[in-house]
Amino acid sequence: MGEVSQGLMNSSYPDFSRNVFINCPFDPEYVPLLRPLLFTVLFLNHNPRIALERFDSGEARINKICELIKCSRYSIHDISRIRSKKRGEYYRLNMPLELGIDIGCRLGNEGILQSKTCLILEKEKYRYQKALSDLSNSDIKSHNDDPETIVFQVRNWFTELGLTNAPSATRIWERFNEFMADFRETRERDGFKDRDLEFMPVPEYINFIREWIAGNPSHTI
Amino acid sequence: MAKRSTSASPKNQRVHVISRKDGWAVKKEGNTKASKLFGQKEAAVEGARKLSKGHDVIVHKKDGSIQRWERSPKDS
Repeated sequence: MGEVSQGLMNSSYPDFSRNVFINCPFDPEYVPLLRPLLFTVLFLNHNPRIALERFDSGEARINKICELIKCSRYSIHDISRIRSKKRGEYYRLNMPLELGIDIGCRLGNEGILQSKTCLILEKEKYRYQKALSDLSNSDIKSHNDDPETIVFQVRNWFTELGLTNAPSATRIWERFNEFMADFRETRERDGFKDRDLEFMPVPEYINFIREWIAGNPSHTI
Repeated sequence: MAKRSTSASPKNQRVHVISRKDGWAVKKEGNTKASKLFGQKEAAVEGARKLSKGHDVIVHKKDGSIQRWERSPKDS
């Protein structure tokens, strides 16, 4: 594959140059976007790092998030759910908080952490400026809540950073659909029901994608 | 951990109906390109049935999950 990050392997985190911190909502409404997002990152031979990757009630969540941010050269922040949808509903602050920690980690450190790079995703291109005007001069990408578009945006972001030989976004999207068929069929054969598949823990889902990519190597990088 | 097979077969005969920004694509698994694009989903499903020649047709939702799996009588 083309190397986005040659020369960055000396971090105290051995997988730093391939780790991608994923900062997004974890509610059922976001699952249709989270699935292709994780698939695309893995398909492009990177490691998604996500707060749900391990569950330990004894571990302070903020500590875990800071560790994930520090060990990841790349970050994807989806701030599309920061707006409340109805009267009386709180808006969501976790995503902007984690985005701020990530930016602070890059600006407040020396050495390898200054190479950190992030992608900010929103539903609409300029909506975020009303709530996060400090980011007004930043480039962000919009997905319009569309799963195919999130594949397109994430894939193109990687290539803009220098990743070469990446398959087209259309190809990745088609492979994701084929993966979903195998996921459904294999899991049903193992006795999983719709509810099991819908609420499958993220680490289990990531492992399944990894195994699938290893077993279906055509056109991966 | 023993490596588990995550592939069902015969995959190379399955035909998928996949959402595209500009409509619905019919794609035979293993082919590098979609066979045809349709504006309407039902037309795409019909096109997939013809292309499948009796093999599985997998109709996807817009998020890539499975809406309907039309099993081949050959597999039952």
